[in-house]
Amino acid sequence: MLEIIALITLGLFAGATAAALGLGGGIIFVPSLVVLFGFDQHIAQGTSLAVIFPTAIVATLGHARMGNVRWRLAVPIGTAGIFGAVLGAQIALQLDGDLLRRMFGVFLILLAARMGWRAWRINDQSEPSPDPS
Amino acid sequence: MNPALIRAIALGAIAGVAAGLFGVGGGVIVVPGLVLWLALTQREASGTSTATIVASSAAAMLAFGISGSVDWQAAGLILVGSVVGAWGGAWIAERVNERALAITFALVLAVAGVRMVL
Repeated sequence: MLEIIALITLGLFAGATAAALGLGGGIIFVPSLVVLFGFDQHIAQGTSLAVIFPTAIVATLGHARMGNVRWRLAVPIGTAGIFGAVLGAQIALQLDGDLLRRMFGVFLILLAARMGWRAWRINDQSEPSPDPS
Repeated sequence: MNPALIRAIALGAIAGVAAGLFGVGGGVIVVPGLVLWLALTQREASGTSTATIVASSAAAMLAFGISGSVDWQAAGLILVGSVVGAWGGAWIAERVNERALAITFALVLAVAGVRMVL
């Protein structure tokens, strides 16, 4: 029961953070499942993907309705993405869980550095910005 | 083939490998790729990226699922929470300093990353 509540709460936080910062949930789900819930790295990644897939469908419908999807680019990127994803998944599934977890950790540190750096810089040159809406 | 198509295919392949390898959507690669390589606006890049993630996450999810590496029940519970959370996030985004939120979040990610490396 406790774990059920904890997983729904993880979803709440991840969904809210992702929406507020405009990023996907995967970089939140995987480390949370591993560090907080003690999931095996492979299961954490597979589970993350199973949340991302339906979320992406719903998000795409919303974006498409507003005319923000460039299908002529999305189709070749998505098609190449399928091949890449199958390749990447096969590599991940062959790797030892501990090694994969460490690789993910490095990926996360790099992303965090990029994100922190950009957020840090943006405001240095900011005038009171005009209302984007 | 025209250069934009070649770039699109290269971008998709790179993002797909990252998605499969790390169990993420790949938006962290596709969005900047679309803006920098293919000259889309941020808004179009977000929308187009989401559409490509449908394809790559489906393929990677199936690969992990076939090998028994998906906890479907946990995924369902997280999904329920995140649908509600996404509404809340839009509300939060209008009320907090996005820069402070981004820096705080980056720090949390960095700590999690260090924990995972060690």
